[in-house]
Amino acid sequence: MAKHLLKFSVNGKDHALVVESHERLLDVLRDRLGLKGTKEGCGTGDCGICAVLMDGKLINSCLIFAVQARNKKIQTVEALGTADNLHPVQRAFMKWNASQCGFCIPAMLLAAKDLLDHNPSPTDDEIREATSGILCRCTGYVKIVEAVQTAASEMRK
Amino acid sequence: MRRFDMYVPEDLTDLLEYLDSHQSGVHIIANGSDLINRIQRRQVNPRVLVDLSGLSEFNYVRKEGNTIRIGAMTTISDLIASPIIDSRHDVFREAAAKFGGPSIRNVATVGGNICAASSSEDLLPVLLVLDAQVRVKSKLGERVLRLEDFLKGKRVTELKANEILVETMFHELDEQSACAFEKIGMRNSLIIAFVSATVYLKLDKKSKRAEQIRIAFNRVGGKIPERAKHTEEKLRGEVLNPQLIDDAIASLRSELRLSSDFRVSGDYRSDVACVLFKRALDRCVEKLV
Repeated sequence: MAKHLLKFSVNGKDHALVVESHERLLDVLRDRLGLKGTKEGCGTGDCGICAVLMDGKLINSCLIFAVQARNKKIQTVEALGTADNLHPVQRAFMKWNASQCGFCIPAMLLAAKDLLDHNPSPTDDEIREATSGILCRCTGYVKIVEAVQTAASEMRK
Repeated sequence: MRRFDMYVPEDLTDLLEYLDSHQSGVHIIANGSDLINRIQRRQVNPRVLVDLSGLSEFNYVRKEGNTIRIGAMTTISDLIASPIIDSRHDVFREAAAKFGGPSIRNVATVGGNICAASSSEDLLPVLLVLDAQVRVKSKLGERVLRLEDFLKGKRVTELKANEILVETMFHELDEQSACAFEKIGMRNSLIIAFVSATVYLKLDKKSKRAEQIRIAFNRVGGKIPERAKHTEEKLRGEVLNPQLIDDAIASLRSELRLSSDFRVSGDYRSDVACVLFKRALDRCVEKLV
């Protein structure tokens, strides 16, 4: 029982992998599927840097075992956009220079996408609340809020 | 991370059967937000984890008569999005607003909060002042306990090795009763509280008599959320006035078992607990008049 067949979808693609009980979703995404966009910060749920979307909800991939993601749909930052076809949130983060060291940005982008998918016209406070679980140690929060507002107005068009 | 096996039950019957026949070294995992940390820190060393995350039948908020029932696998996000948790029950939103961040609230469950039985579980004081009950099930049957009796100490509950918690239930708030939650900590998100105070008040609106009052504090005794029963006794049945409330605060100071830790000193906790109690009580009254 230590090994499990894990069937799940990552960024629209179905996967079937043999995983061990103790592997976290974060480990499987990074080390098995090579999706290095998802980062590990604290590994204890305090920093939120490892956030991904599971069935459309923001979760910390360090706080869930891979087995528990069976039959789920996972989205990582790699699914947001490509260099030629950026997601509006990515474009806005570039426009505002909202990324400094960049380590928290994959999680910030997903949190922003999650918010805008459900709330097309958020207030600044709602943006702060939606990203509140993610620590940016460059403390570039003002530009992040501005970028999410820009992305919101672009997505409303 | 330490190695262990994981058992994924097919349904409730399979789960209860498994728990009944395999009891040593077996730990139950809901969605994992608390337990994974504890396994990594070697505070829990499971031989087998039994994964409940697939049991979606325990994700519900229902109202039957004037009882509200919350399934053990209901996430904090689902709880506060439920139409049954209406504006009268906003206290759940007040507690949830500072409960982890959004990515924690999307996975942390009501049942996990109750069974983890620690002082960082913000839902516990709310359920305590609502005098909630819990229903536990095993292969052999089920039993219903008061939450207060279920929680025995830090990380210790009445749950036996062959049992699982299936739901918690409480009497809904009516037009005479209100509940408020106050918390203070270092950040606006992901706070492990220095202190929190939760008050339930049933008020006779004409006479301002407190027909029933229950007060719970977290991070005050230091271990698990607890009721301040002596102070409740001083207020119960009395007409609320400033002198009475000052007396209640004085009583709180002697009743609360305050401890200092690396977060804050006991003296600070004492001062803040009294302020938060006053604020929560005032807000209960505001909600009712």
